[in-house]
Amino acid sequence: MQMIQAIRASIAIVVSRWVATVLRWTGRAGTSLPGLVATRISPQLVHRLLRQLDTCVLVTGTNGKTTTTEYLHALLSQDADRWLVNRGGANLLQGLLAALLTVSDARGRLRIRRAVLEVDEATLPLIAQSAHPRLVVLTNVMRDQLDRYGEIDQTLALLNRGLSDPSVTLVANADDPLCAALAEGRMDTVLYGFSSEVATPGCPDGVRDGAFCLKCGAELTYAGYFYGQFGMYECGHCGFGRVEPHFTGRVSSCDGFRQLEVEEVARRTSIQYSVALGLSGLYNAYNLLAAVAAARTLGVAPDRLNEGVARFSPPIGRMQVFPGDPESVLALIKNPAGANSVLRALIQDPREMAVCFAINDQDADGRDVSWLWDVDVEDFVATVTCQRFYCAGTRAADMALRLAYAGVPRERVTVLAALDDVTGIACGGQVQVLYVLSTYTALHPLAERLPRRLGLRRMVSEEVHA
Amino acid sequence: MTRAIKVAHLFPELLNLYADQGNLAVLCQRGARRDVSVEVVPVRLGDPLQLGDFDLLLLGGGSDREQAVVARELFRYADDIKAGIELELPVLAVCGGYQLLGQYYELPDGTRIPGLGAVDVVTKAGPANQRLIGNVAITWDHGSARDHNTVVGFENHGGRTFHDYNALGKVIRGHGNNGVDGKEGIVYKGVIGTYIHGPLLPKNPHVADFLLQRALRYRGHPDHLDDLDDGLEWLAHGTVLRMLSIKTGDQGVTI
Ligand SMILES: [Zn+2]
Repeated sequence: MQMIQAIRASIAIVVSRWVATVLRWTGRAGTSLPGLVATRISPQLVHRLLRQLDTCVLVTGTNGKTTTTEYLHALLSQDADRWLVNRGGANLLQGLLAALLTVSDARGRLRIRRAVLEVDEATLPLIAQSAHPRLVVLTNVMRDQLDRYGEIDQTLALLNRGLSDPSVTLVANADDPLCAALAEGRMDTVLYGFSSEVATPGCPDGVRDGAFCLKCGAELTYAGYFYGQFGMYECGHCGFGRVEPHFTGRVSSCDGFRQLEVEEVARRTSIQYSVALGLSGLYNAYNLLAAVAAARTLGVAPDRLNEGVARFSPPIGRMQVFPGDPESVLALIKNPAGANSVLRALIQDPREMAVCFAINDQDADGRDVSWLWDVDVEDFVATVTCQRFYCAGTRAADMALRLAYAGVPRERVTVLAALDDVTGIACGGQVQVLYVLSTYTALHPLAERLPRRLGLRRMVSEEVHA
Repeated sequence: MTRAIKVAHLFPELLNLYADQGNLAVLCQRGARRDVSVEVVPVRLGDPLQLGDFDLLLLGGGSDREQAVVARELFRYADDIKAGIELELPVLAVCGGYQLLGQYYELPDGTRIPGLGAVDVVTKAGPANQRLIGNVAITWDHGSARDHNTVVGFENHGGRTFHDYNALGKVIRGHGNNGVDGKEGIVYKGVIGTYIHGPLLPKNPHVADFLLQRALRYRGHPDHLDDLDDGLEWLAHGTVLRMLSIKTGDQGVTI
């Protein structure tokens, strides 16, 4: 039996390497396909490879996994050190395997024995044993739009199973009551959160997932909040509440450069340092803070954090800026909580903007588009200076309706027939930025097309000159 | 004179799994554009429910845990709700709310979780991991929709529901009440029960107007509603029909 499994693993490695080579030739590298093929041939292979890791760090949670993983990988990869990472949100078994195969020799031995891996919540319990993580980073627990039915309960059960080994250090978001409830009572927990001084006083509106105490079911009260369910919560019934985090963050701005100020408390002494924050949006500050907490726990010195962050390149479609006239910014939206944090970042942008929503309904996007109605579009359209709205993707009309019912006059909403038309959006003279908010399957096509907006402009101006 | 109706949104803090506020936004705006003021009153857990104040009840769906809490709360009003329905009180019940209106929900082991018993509808849990999920299109012949004789949306339910009333429509594509008898939803007096969300009303403006008219009549107002420009609504409606390979003509879908 052992023998057969070993043979299958070898075949899987050979075949998947061949697939990866073909993909490289055809210019389609970076997909999970080699991993998918290898998993089919040898379901055990991923576990064989994971078991060889000396140090494994897993990043999981509903939103922010990909960006946090990239940040952490950048912080850990000091000059001589090499860490394996899975990029682009390939966080299911086949994605993990595809990443592991890139550093495996033909006999299935890993050349790199340290890894930072983004893992889907449902995949975590499947690999927790073989990966035997030194550290698990839990970003947040929110409602995803996929299979909405009773989902939060299910997600929490999956996470509990994935974290059942008490020796694993959990790095968790203290501001999220669902995260904190999962962290409570563990042997080794590192908490991060934002400074209560920057919280908005009062109780957040429309909180659903963190509204009730996981310990006793009573309604939580908030002294203040950051966004969504993140804040200074307390249960009046059983006493469960936010505890002071070990890593407390706040965002400061100096000469236009945004910084994450961190206060780290360990053994009753506290140190302070600041880290450059490349991405806009409070949710990205949370992602960096999570990565800093994890990196510090793994022994990265505070004075090396900034050179680490300098290596960071944002994952595709996370407030990705494309030059042009005006410039365009691509952002992934995939569930109400994530979309709300992106919209909040847009509200912070004082520039006059046009906004395009690209909504697809493939499996990876979520086939049910009900979630669009859970996004706080009303607040957004009432606050932001937006001249025109565009809707693209297979569910463009659903999004257009959503905007119309949020109070946008219908004549200001344009439904685009095809995703390609996004490149042709001609913003009026006073528009300074085009934001393109996209679901998962439209993200890569848009990232390919948006640079052409620049080309289009250039071509037009060249014609004028000629 | 402005016509006014009042809608009770039952337990919004628990029953909002499928974006019911979308349904409410549609009722309010379609009302306002015809000079019908639609007031929505959220009825939260522990609030008294004065059924006589309302012209329409909206009952959404939640997770199993949330729905059990709601069932316990609503039992106090079961008789009132049943009496209201017999007097043509309009109700829109979606997903879990639809099941809740019925006699019981039967678990795989035969245990029956009692519902409100307001209508003679029963639901049985389907086989594990065999939820009925996907885009759905059904026929529509209840209102004055002229060239629109379909209702579209998304369904996602484990329960199989059975009854002998009129269906909301016949299943064209999708599963409907139980995946077996070709019926989707229920229409009984002023009650519309359905598994269709998405939410239901934005892409189905004819159903929204049907409910508004029922509520206006219930309150004793004239029920005339002017036509609106529903270009976007029918575009979104047509997207689902096209995705389901259903051809439409001038007279709507040929069924
Ligand atoms: Zn409690």
